[in-house]
Amino acid sequence: MTKSLRRLALASTAFFALATGAMAQQTVVWWDFLAGGDGVRMKALIEAFNTEHAGEITIENTTLEWGTPFYTKLQTSAAIGEGPDIATYHLSRIPLAVDSGTLSEITDEDMAGAGISDADFTAAASDAGKVDGTRYAVPFDQHGLILYYNKDMLAEAGLIGDDGLPTGLDGLENFNAVLAKFTGDGKYGVSTPTGDRYRTIYSLFGQQGGTMFDEAAGGFFPTDEDVAKLTAAIDVVKGWVDSGYTPVQVESPAALALFTSQQSPFFIMGNWEIPTFVDLHAKGELFEWGAVELPTLFETKAAWSDSHAFVIPANAGKEADADKRAAVLKVIAWMDQHSLDWAGAGHIPAYNAVRDSAEFQTLKPQSDYAGFADTAVFDPRTILAGPAAPLGDAWSNYVNPATTGEIEPADAATQMRDDLNGQL
Amino acid sequence: MLRDKRSEYLTALVLVGPFVLIYGALFVWPTIQMVMLSFTKAPLIGPGDWVGIDNYVKILGHKLFHSAFWNTAYFVLLTVVPNTLVSLLIAMAVNRLNGWVQGFVLACFFLPYILPVSVVFLAWNWIIDVQYGLAQVFVRPFNGGEPMSLTRTIPAFMPTVAFVTVWWTMGFNILLFIAGLRNVSPEIYEAAQLDSAGRWRQFSRITWPLLWPITALVLTIQLIAQLKIFDQVYLFSIGGRQDATITLVQYVYKLAFQQNKGGEAATAAVLLFGMIVVLSVLQYQVLRTRGDK
Repeated sequence: MTKSLRRLALASTAFFALATGAMAQQTVVWWDFLAGGDGVRMKALIEAFNTEHAGEITIENTTLEWGTPFYTKLQTSAAIGEGPDIATYHLSRIPLAVDSGTLSEITDEDMAGAGISDADFTAAASDAGKVDGTRYAVPFDQHGLILYYNKDMLAEAGLIGDDGLPTGLDGLENFNAVLAKFTGDGKYGVSTPTGDRYRTIYSLFGQQGGTMFDEAAGGFFPTDEDVAKLTAAIDVVKGWVDSGYTPVQVESPAALALFTSQQSPFFIMGNWEIPTFVDLHAKGELFEWGAVELPTLFETKAAWSDSHAFVIPANAGKEADADKRAAVLKVIAWMDQHSLDWAGAGHIPAYNAVRDSAEFQTLKPQSDYAGFADTAVFDPRTILAGPAAPLGDAWSNYVNPATTGEIEPADAATQMRDDLNGQL
Repeated sequence: MLRDKRSEYLTALVLVGPFVLIYGALFVWPTIQMVMLSFTKAPLIGPGDWVGIDNYVKILGHKLFHSAFWNTAYFVLLTVVPNTLVSLLIAMAVNRLNGWVQGFVLACFFLPYILPVSVVFLAWNWIIDVQYGLAQVFVRPFNGGEPMSLTRTIPAFMPTVAFVTVWWTMGFNILLFIAGLRNVSPEIYEAAQLDSAGRWRQFSRITWPLLWPITALVLTIQLIAQLKIFDQVYLFSIGGRQDATITLVQYVYKLAFQQNKGGEAATAAVLLFGMIVVLSVLQYQVLRTRGDK
């Protein structure tokens, strides 16, 4: 009897030893929506982290479908306590996420434990991760709309300046004249996918200093002047379609192909396509290319922008485990501190030390367009904003079709305003 | 012989019980909850305040609900009867073949049916692509020699998706019709031929009436499936004007998952549920009376 008891005691000690040993090794479940060229870079970062932290922390990563499927799955899984330990998120969607109770607060102590603080990021980025002063996200990067160009075609047309960058593109008349020069014979001045045109239009709206949302002043596009500015921005892109500078209807993959097959010298797209061109060029399948900030067609510089960030889902019914939380924050801090590799995916690191580093400053073409970080126009702070949110729907329901002649630009602007205000 | 009633009840309970339990837990109870949810102002997750019939008044007056209703009705019109007719024609043609050729042809028609909807979407999206699509060869002559985006041009959207849907799903209906055709005994045709009945007469007086039960089944399955249409329409409309081509299930999805309005989404779902029950019962009754003649 005593013998078997003692055996039991021994066995349980061994079991607990094993269990505590296992506790030191943390597994962090990670979800992201990065499936393109930047996804490859993210996976490399995760692998590097896992190697460096072998026996300590392991990231188990899963990549899900971008957009509504990702956000829906995250929200529903967090509600039943089955969400991941960490997830990527768009800062523009933080108000909506907080409203639906998907995210867990990240305290100053959490941050300090991992050796990071708000001071490591631009004020705009760290503020975008907060709702009413409470932090729900740690910024990772800033990404936005840029202008890709075919250096060979521009050089031939005498549009490359002494600094090796395109010149003479600023101002609506100048830019349109350049587009006209390249249009014809089945070629287009600029390639811009129909479904993404709203980003260009939002940038041009920002270049006129328009206000998209002001709760106190009456919601979306509060003044007639703002509606007029939106209309003017739509008119620019509709003008490109009407003049044949860009195809009426073109899906994203085909729009990319128009640029890579030299049927168009310009491509307006987010910086996330950088890896695609870097890789093609490395394989010797692409001409000399580059990317710069969007030309200023109105008064001031501006370009649509958003940020990727890290969040910790509020998994309902699961008590926050201090060790796990520390591991998750360690992951976040490490990723931010190593975001130079992420800049390879075209994004501008949110972490000041990396963005200011000499390595980033010499990274091409990233440093050629890094200036957009300072003049970026973000989505407004409202629960309707963000990708795969009502604001995104409204853009594609009203503004994109206005560029193809299905709706009059002025009608599109007022219909969009009324639809969004009706949902507030 | 004496029968032990009690043990019979017990056997019945053991046999039927699990089904009733699962059906109750996974269908009846959620349905009741959905109806209850439709009277509240709930978010996607969690309870909300009781608002009575407010949601119904709101949804029924919502412009987008009307457009979702008409789009769904239009899609049903474009798919249910055409799909059934095309399937019947192909089944009769395949039925004339013999041996391995028949098996091969049947497999060819059935193959698309086993593809996941995402594969169907990706394949067809390239086929009809406005810049590079193969189908543009056929589209150009109808559009003054210019290519046209079939999924971004709103009037062309539903017919295009309906066409893809018929291509995708007819394999299953063909199988049902073939099974039905094989049940018609050859002696009947032989007798008809002896009475010098022509092809058309044989079809209208023998094949069609004897196949009627199968046709009624196919039509009913189709009606229910197409009223619930979501996947293809959603996939083809991503990046486009989703509101212009929205269907009822998509409307429910939009309310629930994109706008975080659980109560209103439940209301729209109850309305759709009611429509499906009424329409399918009505259609099946009409078709059955036709068959009784």
